Amino acid sequence: MAEDLVLDSAIRDWVLIPLSLVMVLIGILRHFVTKLMRSSQPPDIKILKENQVVMRARNLRTCANLIPAKSFRSRRVYFSNEENGLLYVPKGQAQNPQAQMLTDPNMATDMMKKNLSMIIPQTLTFAWVNFFFSGFVAAKIPFPLTQRFRSMLQNGIDLSTVDVSYVSSRSWYFLNLFGLRGLFSLILGEENALDDTQRMMQMGGFGFDPTKSLSAEKDSLDIIQHDWALPRIEQRAESILRKLTN
Amino acid sequence: MAMHNDDSSSSDTKHSDGSNDLPGFSAENLQSNMKVIYYSRTFLSIIGGVIAGILGLTGLKGFVLYFLIMALASLGLAAKARFSIHEYFDSWNRVVLDAVLGGLMSFVLFWTFAYDIVHIF
Repeated sequence: MAEDLVLDSAIRDWVLIPLSLVMVLIGILRHFVTKLMRSSQPPDIKILKENQVVMRARNLRTCANLIPAKSFRSRRVYFSNEENGLLYVPKGQAQNPQAQMLTDPNMATDMMKKNLSMIIPQTLTFAWVNFFFSGFVAAKIPFPLTQRFRSMLQNGIDLSTVDVSYVSSRSWYFLNLFGLRGLFSLILGEENALDDTQRMMQMGGFGFDPTKSLSAEKDSLDIIQHDWALPRIEQRAESILRKLTN
Repeated sequence: MAMHNDDSSSSDTKHSDGSNDLPGFSAENLQSNMKVIYYSRTFLSIIGGVIAGILGLTGLKGFVLYFLIMALASLGLAAKARFSIHEYFDSWNRVVLDAVLGGLMSFVLFWTFAYDIVHIF
């Protein structure tokens, strides 16, 4: 059982390499297709405005200690003022953007299109693999696995004495699916979004992000204690000069 | 390598000063440094996979090689950042742990691939 099976080198040429090649090419194709489809959507002004407001508030938060106390406070009031502060969203309104995002026809069809463009190539390739490449040993994985993985990895092979390391082409497909993500991020740049979770986060971020992040920013802005750095500047300058002249 | 040049040129404009208590990490520089780590690790895990396959390593030895390569990568990144990690990243964990698990899948894929092509001919 621990001896090496000799596998036909035709398997190498006609199964492993074509399958990997096909998956790489499909990934590249999908990347360009999504890029083309995405360019026909103008950015939403409201979302953009809210994102910019959040960024301004965040900048204020990080540089709070560099401006005098009074100006910091006046800026903070501008943001978190009850009546017309930029970050203040009354509770009633907070629900609406979410519901609106979900039922907005444009958003819905966009999300559906993106999900489809991800699911369809995977399903098709999987069906293709199952149809053509089943019933034989495709590869040997270099590390040993327990017997439990046998049913998962050796799907078309009906012998039970074959080592679990010898896997069918279905598991080669899955291995490719996960392993090629790294390769795609290298050759396609960051914009490939092949991860399901990544894409979910991106799409979910449009509807839910503004209201939640606004109130989160407001809260963190309220928490800040202002500690003006000017009185300590002299000590800082002295220590830096000491370091330079020593 | 080109990637390491990116590291030095982008981290030169990195915001945080080590010697004072003013806060401030420039977010986009931090992110671009993260990307450098990610790309270097991914690239190294692919190359490492091919090497492990060609050498015929099986089982635990292959994983040991992978973690060895990741450790060397961490060392190289730390050396490139002149060991003052806090000027370029926000914590040690980034340099050491980020993208190690993500690279594992690519490593296994290319390891299997190379091993099969070379040894189970």
